[in-house]
Amino acid sequence: MFSLKPPRPTFRSYLLPPPQTDDQISAEPKIKKLEPVLLPGEIVVNEVNFVRKCIATDTSQYDLWGKLICSNFKISFITDDPMPLQKFHYRNLLLGEHDVPLTCIEQIVTVNDHKRKQKVLGPNQKLKFNPTELIIYCKDFRIVRFRFDESGPESAKKVCLAIAHYSQPTDLQLLFAFEYVGKKYHNSASNMNGVPCESGGGGVSGPGAGSSQKTPLFETYSDWDREVKRTGASGWRVCSVNEGYMVSTCLPEYFVVPSSLADQDLKIFSHSFVGRRIPLWCWSHSNGSALVRMALIKDVLQQRKIDQRICNAITKSHPQRSDVYKSDLDKTLPNIQEIQAAFVKLKQLCVNEPFEETEEKWLSSLESTRWLEYVRAFLKHSAELVYMLESKHLSVVLQEEEGRDLSCSVASLVQVMLDPYFRTITGFQSLIQKEWVMSGYQFLDRCNHLKRSEKESPLFLLFLDATWQLLEQYPAAFEFSETYLAVLYDSTRISLFGTFLFNSPHQRVKQSTKSYSSTLRAVPSSFRNGVLSDPELLPRRNSLVLKPKPDPQQQADGRGGDAEQYFRDWFSRPCDLHGVILPRLSAAHIKLWKLCYFRWVPEAQISLGGFITAFRKLSLLADEVDALSRTLRQQRGGALDAGCAEPAQSRMYFRAGGPQAHAAGTPEFLSSSFPFSPVGNLCRRSILGTPLSKFLSGAKIWLSTETLANED
Amino acid sequence: MEHIRTTKVEQVKLLDRFSTNNKSLTGTLYLTATHLLFIDSHQKETWILHHHIASVEKLALTTSGCPLVIQCKNFRIVHFIVPRERDCHDIYNSLLQLSKQAKYEDLYAFSYNPKQNDSERLQGWQLIDLAEEYKRMGVPNSNWQLSDANREYKICETYPRELYVPRIASKPIIVGSSKFRSKGRFPVLSYYHQDKEAAICRCSQPLSGFSARCLEDEHLLQAISKANPVNRYMYVMDTRPKHRMQSWWDTQKDIGRIIVRISSKIWSDERITESDEKKRLNAMANRAAGKGYENEDNYSNIRFQFVGIENIHVMRSSLQKLLEVNGTKGLSVNDFYSGLESSGWLRHIKAVMDAAIFLAKAIMVENASVLVHCSDGWDRTSQVCSLGSLLLDSYYRTVKGFMVLIEKDWIAFGHKFSERCGHLDGDPKEVSPVFTQFLECVWHLTEQFPQAFEFNEAFLLQIHEHIHSCQFGNFLGNCQKEREELKLKEKTYSLWPFLLDDLKKYLNPIYNSQSQRFTVLEPSTVSFNFKFWRNMYHQFDRTLHPRQSVFNIIMNMNEQNKQLEKDIKELESKIKQCKNKQTDDILTKELLHSIHPESPTLKSSLCFKEQTLLPVNDALRTIEGSNPTDNRYSDYAEEFSKAEPAVVSLEYGVARMTC
Repeated sequence: MFSLKPPRPTFRSYLLPPPQTDDQISAEPKIKKLEPVLLPGEIVVNEVNFVRKCIATDTSQYDLWGKLICSNFKISFITDDPMPLQKFHYRNLLLGEHDVPLTCIEQIVTVNDHKRKQKVLGPNQKLKFNPTELIIYCKDFRIVRFRFDESGPESAKKVCLAIAHYSQPTDLQLLFAFEYVGKKYHNSASNMNGVPCESGGGGVSGPGAGSSQKTPLFETYSDWDREVKRTGASGWRVCSVNEGYMVSTCLPEYFVVPSSLADQDLKIFSHSFVGRRIPLWCWSHSNGSALVRMALIKDVLQQRKIDQRICNAITKSHPQRSDVYKSDLDKTLPNIQEIQAAFVKLKQLCVNEPFEETEEKWLSSLESTRWLEYVRAFLKHSAELVYMLESKHLSVVLQEEEGRDLSCSVASLVQVMLDPYFRTITGFQSLIQKEWVMSGYQFLDRCNHLKRSEKESPLFLLFLDATWQLLEQYPAAFEFSETYLAVLYDSTRISLFGTFLFNSPHQRVKQSTKSYSSTLRAVPSSFRNGVLSDPELLPRRNSLVLKPKPDPQQQADGRGGDAEQYFRDWFSRPCDLHGVILPRLSAAHIKLWKLCYFRWVPEAQISLGGFITAFRKLSLLADEVDALSRTLRQQRGGALDAGCAEPAQSRMYFRAGGPQAHAAGTPEFLSSSFPFSPVGNLCRRSILGTPLSKFLSGAKIWLSTETLANED
Repeated sequence: MEHIRTTKVEQVKLLDRFSTNNKSLTGTLYLTATHLLFIDSHQKETWILHHHIASVEKLALTTSGCPLVIQCKNFRIVHFIVPRERDCHDIYNSLLQLSKQAKYEDLYAFSYNPKQNDSERLQGWQLIDLAEEYKRMGVPNSNWQLSDANREYKICETYPRELYVPRIASKPIIVGSSKFRSKGRFPVLSYYHQDKEAAICRCSQPLSGFSARCLEDEHLLQAISKANPVNRYMYVMDTRPKHRMQSWWDTQKDIGRIIVRISSKIWSDERITESDEKKRLNAMANRAAGKGYENEDNYSNIRFQFVGIENIHVMRSSLQKLLEVNGTKGLSVNDFYSGLESSGWLRHIKAVMDAAIFLAKAIMVENASVLVHCSDGWDRTSQVCSLGSLLLDSYYRTVKGFMVLIEKDWIAFGHKFSERCGHLDGDPKEVSPVFTQFLECVWHLTEQFPQAFEFNEAFLLQIHEHIHSCQFGNFLGNCQKEREELKLKEKTYSLWPFLLDDLKKYLNPIYNSQSQRFTVLEPSTVSFNFKFWRNMYHQFDRTLHPRQSVFNIIMNMNEQNKQLEKDIKELESKIKQCKNKQTDDILTKELLHSIHPESPTLKSSLCFKEQTLLPVNDALRTIEGSNPTDNRYSDYAEEFSKAEPAVVSLEYGVARMTC
């Protein structure tokens, strides 16, 4: 499998490590057998013993000894040593404390101290020195560092090469998801990674899977049909012209089109669109206005005619025959390269640059990344489209060259703002399924699973970030918490989930001769939002019945009033959490999503503090209210009839009287980065707070691979 | 009142500065002796206390009228358009006069009458008892005692009468030290940490002059370090930035090249080794300057530490820049954050916080006593001492404790509130937002540790409101002596009882009171943990407020919880009754039906409805500075119903106007 010369034996590799050096707590490595925890289908490719995992940059006293393995899914450091200085760790069901999935690796740097050499390892590259050190930069902003001082140089080298090879596969089929396949479903309730599945945390069929609603995947006719009915879109129908992907390979098999367009027409039109992408219906407002996404018409001669036909059809599908408002996203929003550039800068700022240096310039550096500006641009544009749909009663067509990048973000954001259903967990997941996965967002390329970096762009993260801004401004309007959003982002980095693995639904079907699909569906209670009002109160739209809102303000809006007026009126009214929510857009309102970007940075951590402490209290209260209501109902029920069966499981992660709820005070493990723990992430400063610039040079490598002189 | 020429102007427009299309409210403007009042066509009232007015500006005449822009010290900015220029001019002149009083006696506090009798008034003033507070800290004890040296304000006019000093420090030592220190502010106890037996002391800078040495001062410092039985060395914290000192050094070049050569060596080292060169340098430098810094050679067992908090002038201009950034222009563009940064405001906040953390660490980790000083020891020193104590002692994080802290470290130790807040028409260079910075530091702590404080943001905002309102006597004057001369306790009221009357709306719903007294807060001061305090600097810009806050939700949930518990008890007792009476099912059902309207589902839905309706209460939110019950946090649902806005003052104003 490797293009490796057979290792030359050196006598050094058989040396036992020297006993006990002075500043090491447990210098004597464990001879005990360390076994990796593997997922079904996972195999160990290479391993090396007596590896030291560095915990702080300037001292080795916290370092851990153990075995480093590379499997076809992850790199794993196995140790018996407990993690130092750590009060809490969020136990991942798939990954251990020291594990990094291969798809999460951004860059691998090998260093040889003695020869003063370092090299960024690409796939199938040779390594002409024995590494003494391995630094791994992860896509989720972590940096892990291993030392091989006491390990066999050859096996260390082999592991490094194996990691380089396996983390940069050349073919989609080499991703672990294809090995993993199906096995999970057979024993979904059993132990996973040594951790018993918490109820609601496991597979889809987990016993207490929270809301127990299944997320529509929009793979079938009926899912789309239900969505059409749910939104009351009367002039629209599900069309199956793309069954078997006969028309376009980047469209779903089923999608929704204006009823007035016949399948035959669609087939003809499809030739004129980029990627044969026939306009897709996304959502309909209760006033009948529809949200539609459309690719560019490449056929210049036909352009006007087809455009006219489509627009007419959309107008016809509108109960009031309202006009169509076209929004050219390519012209109004930053493009994917700009977004990627902003993200790279943000990453540098959050991870690479020493805070001592950026201290004074932090705010302006943050601003110059332009990330927040872009988040704001997406929110602003989406809010304007909300105005078109909601107040002007116009159908909106999102235009974009391919219609599968910016459109995903904008279409989703508009729906999150307009439809409370998409602020529930099930709804949000169905939204991602509908507007991202099925509409052909190129997860494979944009997440860069195969390391062809020119197509990488964090649009999905941008969407999650924008959603977070809404959540931050309306904490009670969402069923999920920010932890949920962060974990959702993380799961795009784990090659286990078929959801975020492919460029299009067609590719997914084509690639998966085996039944690969394990989507992220069930949600542990820790992601739930304690703030959300009762889900029972969410209004369910009456299918097929259009109910004009009796809001007099609304009618006043219809008479004229510009967007400015609309926003001002909206903000002057009391906010209905089960209705439309609009973001505040002034620069001071758009904030950096600290939990997501700073959770691995030890300096940023506020121990025993942060929003989570308030959130915990809130959850306890919500749980108490829940329990009391239940008691109350039982009292009544006991007197009247047998009493209804209550769900034994609480909705909350922090439960009143639960194991996490210490009677007094704030639990020790809470910190601003909860549930993530930055301990062990290589930072610029040690936990003790002495700056060390030694590894900054290493960090800078990340910025540009080219600057590194190749070895020799 | 002679300053008021026009009492009422109709057809005045009020512009919203954050609205882009110049939408305005039309209404009537009234001028009273104490307030400017605007009542719009929806009968919504906007009250502006004259003392809150920082500046009035008349802009160039436009077609619709004459614009009048009023900036307030509580960061409210109102933009009126008065139809006739003459009226505008009259109001402008009146406000100029009314907002800058020449005498203390003309301030609102002397005319404010909340209808309390004298004993109530006195009780209010006795609410905070500093002697009691020192007792709580554990002094006097075997090492510290109450000194009567300043009983008649003979040694230091700006200190309080009661001062705590080391037991071994005799009166001559105190007198001698006070002569060596600027304004006579010699080292005294500010906070005593009972567990660690370490102390926070405060003083002003030494006046080295030509007699570069003061043995009494050295003895006093010795006494302070000896009063700590655990640790023999102490820290002297100079809160002024090193670079200023450096530049001060640079001006000494003429004294001799040697100074220039070695100064860099000195300042690069925290602990300076003895050297002849340095001795010469210090002596020469001190002599030339007349005052400045302790000569370290003369003090043993002392570690000197500089922390860089800038002076009042830098702070004033920084705030000015901040206000420009968060104004209309700044917020609409994308360079808000770099504007925020270039104002330097958050950096200054961080500097104060870092100093306080150093202080807390010196005591907690090293068990060392700390002496804090700046130049005069009433601005930066107050900030650092009070914030340090707040980190160390959870008592100061309670409502009562916070009041005590302000009374002790700010009011009693002579922070010049009247000059810094510009209560009277005085030197504008003396005005500086030092206390505002302290409040902002506390706010940052409340943000980082949501459960650590008994009070909430509204409490801080209300205190900020009243340091400028001149409605209560607490913050008038510049030191205790001046306050006694003004007879504030007889002529004015204390703010604290009024805040306590309204305690409910200042309570933090998620406060965790069970923490130990000496639970130390360890805030993170990495720059991105500092943020813009919107509710302070935009508190009156309703359009910029969040629609929903977690705190409100928690408040509601707390209420809901109580209600549910009550319901359950009620039900249980009723069921018991029914069983006792052996009544039949039907009756039980009826009973339960009678309670049914209060069922939890209904209530929970109500709960959220209520909350969404809250902004309606906004209409009630009218006056500030006229009544402590005024509440910009009217969001906290109906139960905190708005007290009548000070009708008193209006009547009073009208009454005075007519004469």
